Amino acid sequence: MRKPLFKTSFTLTSTLILALSISACGSQNSSGNSGAAATAAPTASGQASDAPAAKAPVKISYLTFRVGTHASAKLEEEQIKQFNAKYGKEVEVVVEEIPSDSAYEDKLKILAVSGDVPDVVMGKNGINDILIKGNLVTPFNDYLDKDPEWKAAVGEAAIAANTRDGKVWSISDQKQNIGYFYNKEMFEQAGIKPAQTWDEFMSNNEKLKAAGFVPLALMTGENAWTTNLILAALVGTNGDAGNKFMNTLHPTDFNTPEMIQALNMMKTMLEKYTTKDALGAGYANAANAFSQNKAAMIANGPWMIGDFSDPTKSSAGFDKKVGVAAYPNNSLISTYEVGYMIGAKTPETRDAAEKFIRFKTGIEGQTIALEYGNVMPVSDKIQPSDVLKQKYPLFVESIKLAQQTQVHYQSFDSIVYPNITDAWKSLYPKLVFGQSTAEEIAKELTKIAAKHK
Amino acid sequence: MVRKNKGYITLFLLPTVVLFIVVYAVSIVILFGTSFTEWSSGRKPIFIGLANYIQLFTDDSDFRQSFLNTGVWVLLQSTIHVAIGTVFAIILNMKEFYWKFARTVYMFPNIISGAAVGMLFLCMLNPDFGAVNSIVRLFGNADYAQNWFMDYTTAFFSVTMTWLPYAAVVTILILAEIAAIPESLFESARIDGASELKINFYIILPMLRNIIGTCVILAGTSMLQKMDIIMMTTGGGPGNETMNLPIYIYKTALMENNFGYSNSVGVFLIGFGLAFVLLCRNLFRIGSSQN
Repeated sequence: MRKPLFKTSFTLTSTLILALSISACGSQNSSGNSGAAATAAPTASGQASDAPAAKAPVKISYLTFRVGTHASAKLEEEQIKQFNAKYGKEVEVVVEEIPSDSAYEDKLKILAVSGDVPDVVMGKNGINDILIKGNLVTPFNDYLDKDPEWKAAVGEAAIAANTRDGKVWSISDQKQNIGYFYNKEMFEQAGIKPAQTWDEFMSNNEKLKAAGFVPLALMTGENAWTTNLILAALVGTNGDAGNKFMNTLHPTDFNTPEMIQALNMMKTMLEKYTTKDALGAGYANAANAFSQNKAAMIANGPWMIGDFSDPTKSSAGFDKKVGVAAYPNNSLISTYEVGYMIGAKTPETRDAAEKFIRFKTGIEGQTIALEYGNVMPVSDKIQPSDVLKQKYPLFVESIKLAQQTQVHYQSFDSIVYPNITDAWKSLYPKLVFGQSTAEEIAKELTKIAAKHK
Repeated sequence: MVRKNKGYITLFLLPTVVLFIVVYAVSIVILFGTSFTEWSSGRKPIFIGLANYIQLFTDDSDFRQSFLNTGVWVLLQSTIHVAIGTVFAIILNMKEFYWKFARTVYMFPNIISGAAVGMLFLCMLNPDFGAVNSIVRLFGNADYAQNWFMDYTTAFFSVTMTWLPYAAVVTILILAEIAAIPESLFESARIDGASELKINFYIILPMLRNIIGTCVILAGTSMLQKMDIIMMTTGGGPGNETMNLPIYIYKTALMENNFGYSNSVGVFLIGFGLAFVLLCRNLFRIGSSQN
């Protein structure tokens, strides 16, 4: 009789312990989560004890990929910290960190299917379209009208870039002026200067190669970023038609003479003037090739400038060797980021989300982004501090360059559908290994664009 | 007593059944239902009948290539991979050389995550600094050094090599089955004058039919989910050279924002998996007695 009783007691006790452990885990998790929230809103708990009658802060959810080793992680951390110091008693930002741009995009697309988007959304790489089509976001028109100061800080051009049918769907937080960086020592040894025409650019490549250098740090993996910046410049500077193409949102016909010509030139560059691992390589490979003196040029934006003096990424004194140049035909890639959107559903959370976005994209937020992330502000009123100018003189050069250039166009990532962005990595090898001609690749791009829903 | 047992059985099965219904059955019903719709993120599904399936089988070369690659990998995995695992198990069972050491080392690739294995191979086969090309150059054959994952002639082979030889799970399952064979059988065979080779061929192998069948199913179906290593190494390229059905599903859903069509590929994948499992069950007569 004792044995079954023991068994039953043992089973019950074990079940109880298991249940308690699970609930303990649960409470640990939730405290972990609230820990994250507490990081985002340190004043929330204090407020509760000091003023019990005061209204609790409105909680808003925010997903970010700017974490860990991301180039913009520092600026994100600082913006949230300063927002909390100023508005923590009113708004509690519950931050969810997603350590990868593509994982962030995938998660947002899946959340959009269920209509359960976060209160504040970064609408990059096609996410904005999905949210607008699904009626999942709130336009900013009323908010901007109520706050002319904020409207001025964002600027008309940035607002226009994110306006469709009169509705401002997102607020841009940065301007992207992208040229290319070059190794001054290698250029000197090859006896060349930054090219003014594409013929000169190709001739520079040949001279660098003859001098024993790899001319270009290219990569075709991920979104083929550094390769596509040059491709965009090739198309964007090829007459009015090419420039119009590179300033068109969601082009559907890639079968144009400008695109075919550009693809043929890119084929030559990938075949003759880049590192052996460029086909299939990721951004880190290309960045490393340039920063480690293995390649003479890399197309990229000012956010990379910090890396040149970072001893974990570049050799000592490398920042002194780097120059910045515009693309041939006095041109530059110039775009406004899609920026932030309001995904909140209730009036209360919408207002709180708007407050957070207003801070991030206003004068304060832009200043933080500039100082902590070398991000080009959208407002002309913001100038780099003397400390920043001294630390990163190349950044000042980049600003000058942006002011001097006359021809502007956007990057492929900011105009094409996401499935095109994803297709480059499989199309470039086809082009280089002769499986498809430039004409066939252009047709394939057109076919892929048509598949986007 | 029987009633009491039934109560316990129901009680203990209930959580699993509920979880299965909530996690799998409902998802499969939704997957099947939405495969007949045009459905993109942010929009409501619109019923379009068999249009997705018609397009899939008549006008989609990407799908055909993905299916072909998946089929070839399932075939290779359920034959070569299982054969490697089985042979290794039989060799290890002989216990003549450092078998504990060999077993531990052999297990290593199976305990590392797929993404890490992908990164490892990506570095090893890097055309610039990778170990493989360095060895090739060291022996003076610089012409053979190449971009293994991106060259059309080597991409499929290179990706296949990242998982095909690592069959430790098969080896462990088969070793466990061998351990369950009564020692008396081997002793009788030895008394009758059978060599170790004959014991392996005529006693051990036939008795492993059930477990080998199970390993074939496990190995083959693992190829229906393979995604991590391919994403890390080639992303399905160059072109569609290493694209399989899971990557195709991912691309159609998240890159083309075409969830309805993607779900029709998902339904096909489930059907393909079921057909494969049924084929293996019949082929190996899994569950029937050894005699």
